[in-house]
Amino acid sequence: MTRPILEVANLSVDIRTAGGTLQAVRDVSFSVGRGETLCLVGESGCGKSVTSLAIMDLLPRAATRRVSRLAFDGVDLARSGKGAVNALRGNRMAMIFQEPMTALNPAYTIGDQLTEGYRRHKKAGAAEARERAVHLLEKVGIAAAGDRLGQYPHQLSGGLRQRIMIAMALMCGPDLVIADEPTTALDVTIQAQILRLLAELQRELGIALVLITHDLGVVGRIADRVAVMYAGEVVENGTAAEIFTHPRHPYTQGLMDCIPLPGRTKPGERLGVIPGVVPSLVGGIQGCPFRDRCPHARPVCAETPPVKTQGEHAWRCILEDA
Amino acid sequence: MTALAETPLIEAPLIEAKGVTRSFKVGAGLFNRKRTLHAVNGIDLTIRKGEVLGIVGESGCGKSTLARILLGLLPPSTGTISFQGRELSTLDRRAVARQVQPVFQDPYSSLNPRRRIASIVSFPLDVHGIGTAAERRRRALEMMDLVGLPARFADRYPSELSGGQRQRVAIARALVMKPEIVVCDEPTSALDVSVQSQILNLLLDLRRELNLTYVFISHNLAVVEHIATRVAVMYLGRVVELAETAELFANPRHPYTTALLASILTPEPGLGIPETGLGLAFPDPLNPPSGCVFHPRCPNAFGPCATVVPRALGQHPAGLVACHLHDPDYNTANNQGNRPS
Ligand SMILES: Nc1ncnc2c1ncn2[C@@H]1O[C@H](COP(=O)(O)OP(=O)(O)O)[C@@H](O)[C@H]1O
Ligand SMILES: Nc1ncnc2c1ncn2[C@@H]1O[C@H](COP(=O)(O)OP(=O)(O)O)[C@@H](O)[C@H]1O
Ligand code: SF4
Ligand SMILES: [Mg+2]
Ligand SMILES: [Mg+2]
Repeated sequence: MTRPILEVANLSVDIRTAGGTLQAVRDVSFSVGRGETLCLVGESGCGKSVTSLAIMDLLPRAATRRVSRLAFDGVDLARSGKGAVNALRGNRMAMIFQEPMTALNPAYTIGDQLTEGYRRHKKAGAAEARERAVHLLEKVGIAAAGDRLGQYPHQLSGGLRQRIMIAMALMCGPDLVIADEPTTALDVTIQAQILRLLAELQRELGIALVLITHDLGVVGRIADRVAVMYAGEVVENGTAAEIFTHPRHPYTQGLMDCIPLPGRTKPGERLGVIPGVVPSLVGGIQGCPFRDRCPHARPVCAETPPVKTQGEHAWRCILEDA
Repeated sequence: MTALAETPLIEAPLIEAKGVTRSFKVGAGLFNRKRTLHAVNGIDLTIRKGEVLGIVGESGCGKSTLARILLGLLPPSTGTISFQGRELSTLDRRAVARQVQPVFQDPYSSLNPRRRIASIVSFPLDVHGIGTAAERRRRALEMMDLVGLPARFADRYPSELSGGQRQRVAIARALVMKPEIVVCDEPTSALDVSVQSQILNLLLDLRRELNLTYVFISHNLAVVEHIATRVAVMYLGRVVELAETAELFANPRHPYTTALLASILTPEPGLGIPETGLGLAFPDPLNPPSGCVFHPRCPNAFGPCATVVPRALGQHPAGLVACHLHDPDYNTANNQGNRPS
């Protein structure tokens, strides 16, 4: 196997809050191969966004990161200075956010925002940057690309803005794109268009994609590999085919049973539920974080569960196969 | 109530909308003239006792505006709404509220943060002056029990509850008046899937127990397929297709319905991401396209589509489709040949 483009080992993030230290991410490890799509999936608050911010070194001040290895293309960023990450971010690794309006500056034209990073990282002139911007806008399916460069973000629809964010992420020819809920705010038809576009570009340009979403439907259709997060931990990790046909962790299984799926669920019949609520992440969490809600929980679950593996499939649970 | 329940289908509709439109004047800055936005643009709809009418369509297509009209919260610009055969405009607003109650999307903003849960649930009883304070509280506790909220929440505030619990409060409040119809506008869209399934189960249980009728608005088609018995597909203020749920999902007739269904992403690895064939020509509601409002995005558009507004075809009120492809006046063998399939 070739060297992964991204390796994350034992990542933990603590956030200081008024109520105490919130252990937002705990001992998360995964890696992403070149040209591969990894989906981080889980319900709100499980630590997906904090994980991505930790990788990009964009955590809020109140957060502390601990990581034993955070390597981009073999270089351990945890051991290189700030300069190394800054040189990579927006360049060889780029980010796409859920709400383009928060990432786009309303006071600058689309053209200014598309070309700024490219000119800085690639030491390129205005004409060359503009040419690349037009090329990428066309690539993401935007007609009259030249005219768009003079427009401001508020003049565009949500779907168009997200296309522009994708073009912006691609400007410097990244090896890795992290997209945090890129289609959650969009209509289903636009979502399908944007995801299709992302998947096509990713394949064509050989980019590795970390796609963060709470939507198992999106995961099923785009992921090569899946990491399921719960309460700050990756509880299960494997190929998409494995995770969907043979989920091992009781949380993953519970999640799948909650969604209506024609053929598996009958219209009008009760859906599966996961009783209870996510535990508080403030203060220490001992043992399996899912045990209060788990139908298979036993006393031993109060201790840190082992990581079970089978081929590329790994899960944190006392059960071999729930 | 029971007599009605025993004869479910063959009766007068609970709600009948005829030619309903609703427009808004929207300003575009200090110097521009106000322009008219047709949020709901000529809707005929009947809602029958015991059914779950799903309403789907992209954001901005008028779902919430229609919901507010059905709730009597917003008068239509033109057209009529009748409730059990009587025109809504002739009825007392409170009499309508007794029978038609809402559950909205946002379980955060739709509950008064300064009221305790029991008092939020009993609020409609207060408004209608029903019962003594003690009776109202007892009724609120009954409702909380019905929706699965423990009695210990009675004196808490909304901020102390999770999103799913707040949505249960909203449902309890909607049911306290024993309404005929509950209009749910994206009731699970703000919730995590594990909470969504709890709320959907609750709505389904309540419907069976109380013989309720729902209008269920959602942009999540898988959820609508699960809960609705009939589905109306809206596009830019109009109902473009209406059919029994199983029929609509098995045999979509309007090209927009086909594209919507194609966009559903189910967790089935290997299927990939579908091509919707819709293009990027997103419509401007202030300047809607001529003819069929869907024609600039329609992969099947032909001769009349850019100029002639399609009429609603089909056995109204059970089902309809508004598309020239299904209009024998236009869709001759000749036109079929011109269609890009
Ligand atoms: N800036 C912050 N301050 C305090 N807590 C935060 C902050 N950002 C995230 N958190 C908390 O960290 C946890 C993980 O959050 P997040 O990664 O945003 O979840 P997700 O993206 O999976 O919904 C949550 O409990 C959240 O409330
Ligand atoms: N009070 C209002 N004033 C002006 N425009 C409105 C108002 N309410 C809704 N609209 C517009 O009407 C259209 C339909 O909106 P809405 O019914 O909320 O759609 P949906 O619920 O399907 O997303 C949108 O273009 C929206 O911007
Ligand atoms: S009327 Fe024409 S444009 Fe409209 S949906 Fe039918 S085929 Fe498409
Ligand atoms: Mg997030
Ligand atoms: Mg709405």
